[in-house]
Amino acid sequence: MKMFIVSNLLWVRRERKITIDIDLSPKISKYWALSQWYPTEIRKLGDDMARKVCIIGGATTPFDYGPTGFESIEGGAAECIRETMKDVPEFRMRDLDLMIYSHFSVHFGHQLAAEWVIHDHLGLVGLPHFRIENGGNTGGSALYGAALAVKSGMHDVVGIVGWETMDSVGQSQGSEFIALASDIRYELLVGGIYPIYYAAMANKWMRDNKVTEEDVASIAAKNRNNAMDNPKAQWYRNEHKYITVDDVMKSRLISYPIKKYDCCLMTRGVAFMLVTTEEYAKKINPDYYCTVDGLGLSSCTIRAGDRLNFPGWTERYGPNYPEMTEFGACRASAETAYKQAKIKNPRKEIDFGEIHDAFSTSEAQIYKALGLANKDNMAQFLRDKETHMEGSIPMNPGGGLMGYGHPVGATGIMSSIEAYYQLTDMIPKKHLSSKTQVKDANTGVVNSHAGTGTSISNFILRRV
Amino acid sequence: MAKTKKFVKEVNFTTVKDFRPKGVEETGLAFVGYEISDDRKVMNQKLHYDQLYTIRHGWNSPFFIGLVDGKIMGTKCPKCGDAWVPARTHCWNLDCNLEHTKWIEMPLKAKVHTWTVAGWSGRSSLKRLPIVLVYAVVEGSKVAIANELHGIKPWDAEFGMPLKIVFKPKEERVGAVTDFWYEPAEGWKPSPMTPEKERIKKLVEPVYEWVKTLQ
Repeated sequence: MKMFIVSNLLWVRRERKITIDIDLSPKISKYWALSQWYPTEIRKLGDDMARKVCIIGGATTPFDYGPTGFESIEGGAAECIRETMKDVPEFRMRDLDLMIYSHFSVHFGHQLAAEWVIHDHLGLVGLPHFRIENGGNTGGSALYGAALAVKSGMHDVVGIVGWETMDSVGQSQGSEFIALASDIRYELLVGGIYPIYYAAMANKWMRDNKVTEEDVASIAAKNRNNAMDNPKAQWYRNEHKYITVDDVMKSRLISYPIKKYDCCLMTRGVAFMLVTTEEYAKKINPDYYCTVDGLGLSSCTIRAGDRLNFPGWTERYGPNYPEMTEFGACRASAETAYKQAKIKNPRKEIDFGEIHDAFSTSEAQIYKALGLANKDNMAQFLRDKETHMEGSIPMNPGGGLMGYGHPVGATGIMSSIEAYYQLTDMIPKKHLSSKTQVKDANTGVVNSHAGTGTSISNFILRRV
Repeated sequence: MAKTKKFVKEVNFTTVKDFRPKGVEETGLAFVGYEISDDRKVMNQKLHYDQLYTIRHGWNSPFFIGLVDGKIMGTKCPKCGDAWVPARTHCWNLDCNLEHTKWIEMPLKAKVHTWTVAGWSGRSSLKRLPIVLVYAVVEGSKVAIANELHGIKPWDAEFGMPLKIVFKPKEERVGAVTDFWYEPAEGWKPSPMTPEKERIKKLVEPVYEWVKTLQ
């Protein structure tokens, strides 16, 4: 039964009476009763919004970390758009009707509102623009924002520029800057950096799920070796070597069980992506676009220790979840995205993913949160190399954060672009060969992740 | 001149401590150097910026004043009874409608929820490596709080081990979480060496050597 109601019960400000189209089927009503405060549950998860969201092009600068730098940020943005124009010759700058800028930290940029520098350099004065910042999930959140802009009917052609210039300070200082996104009053001085928080979470997770250091080391080797086919990847441009599980095991201790090669890279890089309506996609780039069929965004505590017993999670998933080990926001946002994309069995219906491998351990934790494996078969799932190129569901064929690099504001955009290349058969053109092309890829998941799992988005991208 | 209306009671700061290292100054933004490549195509500019911040703890102040006094202060919701360290000034339970919580002094006892052994850290912590970091639940709290575990060999840390909270001597406290740390509770003894402990020991040993090389 479908009906229109005037609601003052929802999470929106009470004085704003709004009309929302809701489905009062018994299942939805049950959700309503259980958790009135989850707007996505009662708003039919956006699948009644008719306008499809499409990705029709995108490119990154090479990702690197170096004392000289290789372009200005506005120059890098312009070069990413020029490369996109080569792939999408019909696209014109004049077609853009909104620009979203995806940038994490002013500390790295030493420039407030650096998006203003880029925007007018691109000649776009007069066009609406704003910046989205959401920690490591900045890129994913920018895509979420662009998708909402298109779905709402307000905008048709949205450009996203993401960037970070992390080589403006030393690695150790850079780690400390990133840690300013932890609760500095309670955590900054006692852990100091994110790898330590992640290691504490992973140590228990690995024990609970019977996963070994070698199991996660295989993820670290996989992503770096995938990056060896990607000329823009930082690993390809710097270390430039194939590595083994043994190399990961022998790399220096960062925080047990995480070693140096279990960690992602600190990076300078810029990315650009075009998010449009289906009508525009069909007109401008009919043979090379993919759709965004599911989008989910969820949140968790800033301090990992606070997620023990959090009433919001207990209400949703029962007691002892997400504990300090699982990424509840990943599970919740994936469930939303799957529902929109009508995915019932992600293990079978998703062909590949570009996911947020800040650490090899967190990539494994993400597999579980995405529903690809469970406590009983997690270790075997890793040992069977299901997510390697030869496996049934390759993850991070583009190299991921450990291979391609992690310039925070550009990262989620990079992941989306790699997934877009897979779904439009552009990998042989963008990578060095077809070695990292996922055969017959029809559906991909893009995952972007922040804090200690504090904000996480998931997207389902599909071939047209 | 019209008398300025005051909307809040003026705060009078009578205990003032300044333990900033000598030579740290807020000079403001300054370009302090540059480098140009030999082909004169690329230039890097050196920008220096140093700023003293005032963190106004406001309603969270009892926790930080507690640290100075050698106490762990938490809060408790009078409606649902949940209690927390780190403290929450409003209840997290949505049915409690952001109820104001009450400050309570917590026992100096905790239990390890999870742990790690750090061999690398932020610039300000490098010389203290290796660090055993634990997330521990202070007795009575619903959540875990991170801090260092001292008085133990790094490879001897255990899930669920009982801890006591130990404060720095009063004159050394700065009102930050580093004023306290965890130590094993009285009577706790490390378990015998295992292959995992040997592995951690092997990973940690080079860290001790590396730290010695730091200036």
